[in-house]
Amino acid sequence: MNLNVEHLAVSFSNVNIVKDVSLKVRNKQFVGLIGPNGCGKSTLLKSIYKVIKPKHGDVFLSDLDVIKASPKVVAQKLGVVGQFNELSFDFKVREMVAMGRTPHKGMLETDNKQDQDIVTGALRKVNLEGHAERSYNSLSGGEKQRVILARVLAQQPEFMILDEPTNHLDIKFQLQILNIVKKLDIGILAALHDLTLAAEYCDYLYVMKQGQVAASGKPEDILTKELIGQVFDVACETYRNPVTGALGFAYLETR
Amino acid sequence: MNVMQTDIVAKPASKHSIISSRYGFTAVIIVLLIITVLSAGAAVSFGQVEIPVSQSYRILLHQITGIQIGNVQDLTSGSFVDIIWKIRFPRVLMALFIGAGLTLCGTIMQAAVQNPLADPYILGISSGGSLGATFAILIGFGTMGILGQTGVAFWAFAGAVGASLLVLLLANAGGKMTSVKLVLAGMVINALCTAFANFIVYFANNAEGIKTVTFWTMGSLAASSWDKLPLIAVSVTLAAAFFLMQFRALNAMLLGDEAAVTLGISLGAYRRAYMILTALITGIMVASCGMIGFVGLIIPHLVRGLVGSDHRRLLPASILFGAIFLIWTDVIARTIVPNVELPIGIITALIGAPMFMYMLVKKGYAFGGKS
Repeated sequence: MNLNVEHLAVSFSNVNIVKDVSLKVRNKQFVGLIGPNGCGKSTLLKSIYKVIKPKHGDVFLSDLDVIKASPKVVAQKLGVVGQFNELSFDFKVREMVAMGRTPHKGMLETDNKQDQDIVTGALRKVNLEGHAERSYNSLSGGEKQRVILARVLAQQPEFMILDEPTNHLDIKFQLQILNIVKKLDIGILAALHDLTLAAEYCDYLYVMKQGQVAASGKPEDILTKELIGQVFDVACETYRNPVTGALGFAYLETR
Repeated sequence: MNVMQTDIVAKPASKHSIISSRYGFTAVIIVLLIITVLSAGAAVSFGQVEIPVSQSYRILLHQITGIQIGNVQDLTSGSFVDIIWKIRFPRVLMALFIGAGLTLCGTIMQAAVQNPLADPYILGISSGGSLGATFAILIGFGTMGILGQTGVAFWAFAGAVGASLLVLLLANAGGKMTSVKLVLAGMVINALCTAFANFIVYFANNAEGIKTVTFWTMGSLAASSWDKLPLIAVSVTLAAAFFLMQFRALNAMLLGDEAAVTLGISLGAYRRAYMILTALITGIMVASCGMIGFVGLIIPHLVRGLVGSDHRRLLPASILFGAIFLIWTDVIARTIVPNVELPIGIITALIGAPMFMYMLVKKGYAFGGKS
């Protein structure tokens, strides 16, 4: 499933947050979105997954016009791991994950054996089978994030958007979540804040600055010290990691 | 924090898994249903004239189905039949439906504003209803013939619904309605209506009227009768049936607006519809029995502690629990002090508050889960 975003613009009370952004995710690509805080990454993603109404522009998931289609139809194809996942009311982990089945169900339909198997499978994928009966609010940040990921997996989406899915997580859980997502073999658009991880996992990168796409391309082609200096305002050198051979970044000092 | 978490892991979840298995939960609902029916039957025995429970059941059975057990002639000829059938049974049924309705509305409101502190009266219904009733009792048509008793009910309903519409308008003004704006708008309208009501009370030169107002604000089922029952019974039953069918949207509400959209449910329209419906039902209930506090706040939390936050379980269980709770608090309200009818709001708070404190302290209640 391809994602096509064309000339998308979002503004709040006459301030343009996202200015005419176009981007593409081709079939089964893992595409990253990077940029400094406040550059409009989250707003762009939210307007793609229908939480914010864009001022103009189009969003297409293959043939589906995401902006015009009903939330339910979109949710059957598109899964979202968002940033804010605190609850004032508590659920069991299994109930939480089972809610991923919502877009595939009628209002009155109850979950059948197949749905339960999907939920169990999703919990297994994120290594939380043993936590099914635990309360969601009693989990740690990393576990919560994995529960949310399991809920999105239970949704069986054909495309997934992740908004800084590894925020505040230990490195082990960061890698775990990205590995699970990478293995899904569906199209992914993810906002990431760690350049090393972005370079390692993404097939293609869009770099945003002040609401616009400043650069796009394969990680090794575009993540140069000039670009990082210009976009993130940080002096740095890039190098090949002697252990893994992957792209590495040495930050020198803020200007 | 870490200490607490290891503590949880160590705790076996056996107590909760009985209720959480599908058959276990069905059994719980059936047991609650049986208790509700038995309570309704037993509650008519209590009052200033004590009637043996076995006789009460036989009288009710005979009146409802015509089935005769033993010598019914004895029973039907006495005054017991009139006491049970004309006075107590409609009142017990009223308690059943009001208890179920308040708990239902409380559960829905808590989901709709995503706030555990919400209750059926949060949209300014309490103070709006009080203002209407105060006006009717102290200034309005309180003593004038036909408008007499229906006057108070009508004005209470008008005040309750008027206040909640104002709150919804205020929360909608200036862009998107958020739950914080709703709660704040509710508080503002509450303060305004309370001020007006106090103004009327302060200048009223009518001790009897003021006592009536006080009694009304604490709630009472004393005015129940067969002809008031159908409106309450029908509206509560329809609302319950409607909301039982909405469990998916209600569950999504607890996740917040953004997560709900990603699951295919856009909450705006649902929330508005739920609130208007809840406000209407609560307004109808307030008009016929005054303000019965605490039930709509506490019972949803108590039941959440038992069956969790999933509305498919929570709604049926809390509706039945609320019905049973109010039937018995009403029994206490009319029997605990001889020859005196206490406002039921006093009893619901006196019983509900310690129950809730026990849950918070002993059970480590965490709004639907175990903390």
